[in-house]
Amino acid sequence: MYEEPYRWVEAVGNRRQYLDEQFKQGSPVVGVAYETGILLMTMNKGTPKLYEVYDRLGLGGMGHPADLEKLRFNLLEMAHVEGFNRSPSDVTGGRLVKYGIAPVIKQAFEEVFKAPFIVKILLVELGQKSGKDSFLTINYDGTFEEKSRYAVLAASSAIEQEMTAYLKQQPIASLEEAIGSAIRTLALGDRAQRHALEEGGEHGDVRTGSDQQPVDSETLYAHMRQCLADKTIECALLDRQMQGPTKYRTISLDELGKVLPGHLVTPLT
Amino acid sequence: MGMQGDFYQLLKEQGYVFGVPGQAGAGQELTTATTILAFKYRDGVLVAGDRRATAGNMVMYDRTDKVLEIDRHSVMAIAGVPATAYEMARILEHSFKYYRRTQLQELSFEGKLRALSKLLKDNVAAALAGTGAVVPIFAGYDAEQETAKIYFYDILGAEFEGVEYAVSGSGSPTIRGILHYLNTWGEQPLSAMPEGLATIHALRLLTSAAEFDSATGGVNRDAGLYPVIKFITAGGVRTMPDPQLRSLFEANVSRSL
Repeated sequence: MYEEPYRWVEAVGNRRQYLDEQFKQGSPVVGVAYETGILLMTMNKGTPKLYEVYDRLGLGGMGHPADLEKLRFNLLEMAHVEGFNRSPSDVTGGRLVKYGIAPVIKQAFEEVFKAPFIVKILLVELGQKSGKDSFLTINYDGTFEEKSRYAVLAASSAIEQEMTAYLKQQPIASLEEAIGSAIRTLALGDRAQRHALEEGGEHGDVRTGSDQQPVDSETLYAHMRQCLADKTIECALLDRQMQGPTKYRTISLDELGKVLPGHLVTPLT
Repeated sequence: MGMQGDFYQLLKEQGYVFGVPGQAGAGQELTTATTILAFKYRDGVLVAGDRRATAGNMVMYDRTDKVLEIDRHSVMAIAGVPATAYEMARILEHSFKYYRRTQLQELSFEGKLRALSKLLKDNVAAALAGTGAVVPIFAGYDAEQETAKIYFYDILGAEFEGVEYAVSGSGSPTIRGILHYLNTWGEQPLSAMPEGLATIHALRLLTSAAEFDSATGGVNRDAGLYPVIKFITAGGVRTMPDPQLRSLFEANVSRSL
């Protein structure tokens, strides 16, 4: 039934609608560079969504856990075989995405008789020097984008834009500042997604901004406290100051508690 | 499908072949020889190795690193053919990382021991032909049992626990006796020694090995060449820096002063 070209276009359109629907309930993911590393943050309900890919590569994902797991294994295989056969410094995020998984995701998306991957991926790469970090996002259709200071994943591209616009205004130098900004951005994204859900009905990216009003930090922290009733914050670092080749480490809630704003600590612990 | 998280299997599936064919190069003078040692001291395990690589009676290189950090909690010290040994170390390093990242947990200490054993087994043909013999010591911190441990291997891949100490390489017969004597009738057993004293003994042992084995390099103070000495404790692997080795050597090993 999809043999004719216009049918195929229609099928791909349907597929977009279906996929957009799948991400509406998910938690956004935030990645920001600070002076001595990169911070990755999201919320989960028990299943982790942040992973170590290679010595200087971290991954955050949204979507179906089984699909995310499959692509994560693809990335791990590519990175380790390359790192062993050539050298760890030849394993770069750009190559893994452009020649590795983006084509795989694109193909699955366009083969309308088969199931697509229900995933959005954020791959972050710690540069040798600060300012040389890279952030790659890959959408469910295989399109990817590369940025140098921050990137986010959210339910829709409108919400992603809202989040990055907010991040852009934040002063981020220290780890503390990065954590504070990431929490507020996460809350902003989650809030926007809930609003979009409530208004419901309409497909696509109808809403932009919360009535274009800048949201103050207090509101965002209050929203985050609400979220933490049934979710936990998940946090990982690519830390340039770590000894040895491996730079990835997770941040426990205890450690997070020490740098969090006081009024957020209580519901966390 | 192979075992989950098995990097070595993955490599093979991608067409990788480990080691050299058994017949190649037999009869040639190969780069070999060493003295490596490991013993338990008060805080964990000390692993040390000299730095000379030889081919027959020729000294090839005097800055070889034979004590290789595989991950934050384990060390492989190598004796035998460096080409094969380094390859093994590289496979192990990637295997442990790959396991940790795919399975989201650290490979157990026993799992790490088996991984090296498997590599040695796959290398048996080359080892018997004399082209790729490797006789390593593997030491690491066992998180489950909360203690640092030492294992040594034969070329066929059998693993033996060195309860108090282990030695390998051409210079090892000399110091094996000293270690036994020191541990049994010395002022205190090796396992009671603090880090500084343990280091002094390691330096003296390697200097003794170099005295009787031409394939073991001693200390070359003019060139600032000291053995490689690493410590494994609950906190991970740590290397003793050269300036500290120099002062310990000058105060406690050399008698020329």
